[in-house]
Amino acid sequence: MIDFASLLTTDLVGLATTRHAYLLFVLLSTIGLYMLIANQNLVKKVIGVNMFQTGIFLFFITSAYRVGGRAPIVEGAGPYVSPLPQVIVLTAIVVGISLTAVGLALSIRLYNEYGTLRADALREVIGDE
Amino acid sequence: MSDDPTGQPDERFDGRVDTDGVARQRPVYTESQVIMTTVKAVIPFVMTYGLFITFHGADTPGGGFQGGAIIASVVLMIAFAFGIESTRAWLANSTVVGLGTAGVFLFGAIGFGPILLGENFLEYTAYYPVFGDLLGLKEYEFVKYGMEVVEIVGIAFIVSGILMGLFFALAAGDSHSEPSEADLREGDLRDGADSATLGGESDD
Amino acid sequence: MSDVLLALLVTVPLLTAIFPLLFGLRYENAGWPIALAGSLVVTAMASSLAWEIFTAPTEAGQRLVHEMAGYPAPYGIELVGDGLSALIALLIGVVSVAVLIYGRSTGPQTNAFYSGLLLLMGGLLGMTLTGDLFNLFVFLEIVGLVTYALVASDDSGMAAYGALKYLFLGTVGASLYLIGVGYLLVATGSLNMLDLQARIAELGYTDPLVQAAFGFILIGLMLKIAVFPLHTWQPDAYTYAPDTVSAYISALVSTTAAYALIRISFDVFTVDFFAANPLITDAVVLVASISIVVGSLLAAMQTEIKRVFAYSSVAQFGMIVVAIGLNSRTALLGAVIHLVGHGLMKATLFMGAGILSSAYGATTISDYAGLAKRSPITSGGLAVTGLALVGIPPSIGILGKWYIALGAVESGSWSVAIVIFISTLLTLTYVARIIETLYFNAPPEASHEEAAASESVDHVAAADSPVADGGHTNRVATERIVVVAVLAVSTVALFASVDLFTELLDPVFGRFFQ
Repeated sequence: MIDFASLLTTDLVGLATTRHAYLLFVLLSTIGLYMLIANQNLVKKVIGVNMFQTGIFLFFITSAYRVGGRAPIVEGAGPYVSPLPQVIVLTAIVVGISLTAVGLALSIRLYNEYGTLRADALREVIGDE
Repeated sequence: MSDDPTGQPDERFDGRVDTDGVARQRPVYTESQVIMTTVKAVIPFVMTYGLFITFHGADTPGGGFQGGAIIASVVLMIAFAFGIESTRAWLANSTVVGLGTAGVFLFGAIGFGPILLGENFLEYTAYYPVFGDLLGLKEYEFVKYGMEVVEIVGIAFIVSGILMGLFFALAAGDSHSEPSEADLREGDLRDGADSATLGGESDD
Repeated sequence: MSDVLLALLVTVPLLTAIFPLLFGLRYENAGWPIALAGSLVVTAMASSLAWEIFTAPTEAGQRLVHEMAGYPAPYGIELVGDGLSALIALLIGVVSVAVLIYGRSTGPQTNAFYSGLLLLMGGLLGMTLTGDLFNLFVFLEIVGLVTYALVASDDSGMAAYGALKYLFLGTVGASLYLIGVGYLLVATGSLNMLDLQARIAELGYTDPLVQAAFGFILIGLMLKIAVFPLHTWQPDAYTYAPDTVSAYISALVSTTAAYALIRISFDVFTVDFFAANPLITDAVVLVASISIVVGSLLAAMQTEIKRVFAYSSVAQFGMIVVAIGLNSRTALLGAVIHLVGHGLMKATLFMGAGILSSAYGATTISDYAGLAKRSPITSGGLAVTGLALVGIPPSIGILGKWYIALGAVESGSWSVAIVIFISTLLTLTYVARIIETLYFNAPPEASHEEAAASESVDHVAAADSPVADGGHTNRVATERIVVVAVLAVSTVALFASVDLFTELLDPVFGRFFQ
């Protein structure tokens, strides 16, 4: 079982000072997810999706870091930061851009068709059709 | 989104009225001297920078995707400075589609070559027996230059073509709205916008 | 030659996708022949691959591996073909050909649409044949993106709404899957599926990082498969999409996501992982059982035909996910058979509904009143496939459900068998209602004169394009009816193929359950 007392006093402080990037990943992803769910404007939902994905990219990049590491280009000695997660994030950024593009194109089309960008209004209108 | 009390369509909306009689807001192009001059001065440098990033992707941060996005932003800047309609007239639809498809085609060709020569997909060292003496490269250098060629003529083309095409498709708005006089005169431009209504697909 | 087939299967559709757009600059209708040629080539290659794996004498021949760029396993990306992936690849090819023949004269026929269909085919094949977790994510997103664009390719605004809803939910699902892959990368440093199997075993199956990774991957893929309660995008997307697209995506997209879940559960996290974490298996079985019941209930409550079929998918995929959680070889055989069978059946049902919708404008169950007299072949196809979906022998539907229920009983989960039985009864409710309305209800009075005046739809000879006459009966191209009839017959005929399935999948399951 987890020792909550010691977790609260020592480990949480340790977590915040050394692994703050992971905390930020959780924060960004949660805020993005909340924006996606709670905000009624379609464009803001797309922004929320983007933020959610940005949190995930932060997680990958953080996992690649090595203390004292240099950029992963083989020129001198020394430990290198892992290049694999960086490539993963590049690909995922491309995917995220395409998703944003499709999402915005669909939002424009919905706006032209129904005259509104609010998801609750659209749900009512389309539910009635 | 309101009409003038006198019944004339609102000046802000270019006099355009949708099929259901409502005047909706369309992006209005206003000529701004500052933007036009800045863009005219800056574009060559941005283009050079985009090409630089594309070519130097192997040794420094950069590569096909980043460079392609910067090159596409050149066209986007021109569109913002000089008007989207006139930029679309200048950059024919066939250029944009051609860029995208040429990129995929070249990527496929470079990737398939090793299969025809008996090796695996994208195995650049398979080109060594054929082109090694011709180009004067060692076997392992084929990997480096093969990857660079794929990035430059494959991925940069695809990304810039798709980003440009997407921008024009999004700016064209709903492809089922009433085409204006200018569009009808341009003939097959409307076809181009329609056939590019699918969103960006990346096939990394 | 053999493992090059894997690379060709993935890249040929992706490269062929540029040609409709390229030729579209010049010619008007270049899309359809290119797409059909591409899908025929893909089907030929997929059947050659399946045949090669089926008749392979050695252990090594039954699992073909193609290393991309020649880099060996843990460093490079592999394409892997064994009995299971070859079967799904064959399903993708066959359904693509069928839907393309069906879609020659209906649905959106722009060049961009056919390009998108080919891209979707390439993405699905990539998902099926890859042996690397991150490569699976990339192809999962390609499939998702193109699906969102295809669902929105109808003229109505509702199609854009369904597509946008699918986009938001599908992106969250794929991103959750990516988080799971990230956790596995942090834990083991590798992304290759077979390599991960060994490394996770070293790490220990009760390590919280591994459990969390599985949790994220499971939820992400369950969103893509659309099991309750993550199914809310499915009814809107399937209903508002054009009929050709509904048939295609209902047969293939969730199927490939379910295949990915099977592959990851049994190849990366093996049976031992499930044995060490009974909480996870219990949770999966519980949620999937709820999905089975709720899906069938909701389907029985709908009035619009396409919505009925969409909710029924929720129930069928619930059965497949239950079989994954049951951890039994028989149940998994049933799940794979049901994957293939459900793909064929759902495609047939949506295509039949599309024929009736474009001929008579019939979209709700009550619109179907008495249509059997005017379209005997289509109604017959719908009835046969509906009964196959319920699970009336002989059909492929009963095969899948039988083996899943048998596997449930063998592992001692009687409740799952009871849930499957309940779902069968509920499926019978709505299928019987559709069949009754088709055959035994009188057609509405106003159409009597017009019914006498216009010919029955199926006797139209060589009609090539729908011609609206007075808006009541439109002519339907014969090839659409032929496709529905052929597929309906095949769902019944495949009942006899149990041995083929077992023989093809035995080596794979031997490896899963050793």
